[in-house]
Amino acid sequence: MTDEALIQSTLNGDDHAFAELVTRHKGKVFGIASRFADGSHQLDDMAQEIFVRAWRNLRKFRGDAPFEHWLSRIAVHTCYDFLRKKQRTPDSVPLDERDGEIPANTGSRASEARERLDFAMRKLSPEERLVITLTALEEKSVSEVAALTGWSEANVKVRNFRARQALKKILETSHE
Amino acid sequence: MNDEQLNDLFKTARDAKADTSRAEYGFETRLLARIRAGRESASIFGWAWRLSPYFAGIVAALGTWAYCSPAQIDLQAIATNGADDLQVVEFFTGDKI
Repeated sequence: MTDEALIQSTLNGDDHAFAELVTRHKGKVFGIASRFADGSHQLDDMAQEIFVRAWRNLRKFRGDAPFEHWLSRIAVHTCYDFLRKKQRTPDSVPLDERDGEIPANTGSRASEARERLDFAMRKLSPEERLVITLTALEEKSVSEVAALTGWSEANVKVRNFRARQALKKILETSHE
Repeated sequence: MNDEQLNDLFKTARDAKADTSRAEYGFETRLLARIRAGRESASIFGWAWRLSPYFAGIVAALGTWAYCSPAQIDLQAIATNGADDLQVVEFFTGDKI
């Protein structure tokens, strides 16, 4: 059964069709959200919010691009909203109530690099963190980032340049 | 730190794919429960919203009735005409004294 057929069944009230759609695409969604989430509890919140938004807006899906692209755009916007919300209410969750780190399934060198980057990237603005995650970690091109975020390509380039400069400065000071 | 060092750091960090298998476990069940709960509360709110003109009509009718009811006109008449206490007692008790 194609994604389009599952979408049509969901629109006709079949919840199981939507569950099947979620099963197919949750890997991608969790992959994006894990780049921005602070712990496994927040990761679950983010992923749920992404799919709830997709479910609410399913009628707006025109089918001129693959469903995965449309869902990725929703995922990026949702993660960006989470980052902005987190910036408005920094450290609103007490330390002892925070859940554990999301485990990495690779070697210690990669995990150390990721931890170091995560620490530095938490100090960036939401825009900077978003653009650097998409370009440097997800390896998206400028045009892809522009399509995902809705920003112009020039804007993406400027924000990416500024984000890199800011990140270098943070990493230098944290290394001293 | 120069660009090359930063790119190296990104390259190494890219290999650290998060293991989300635990978070993905039972995700569909949790998600559908949330969607169904949202749908139910939305339907209750929708019904309340659709019925709101009727509620407003009832409130307006009750207000009009309370304002124009004969009992209130009588009470006003008694109060303004300087009627004696017996009339007031008659009015409130319904007994003829």
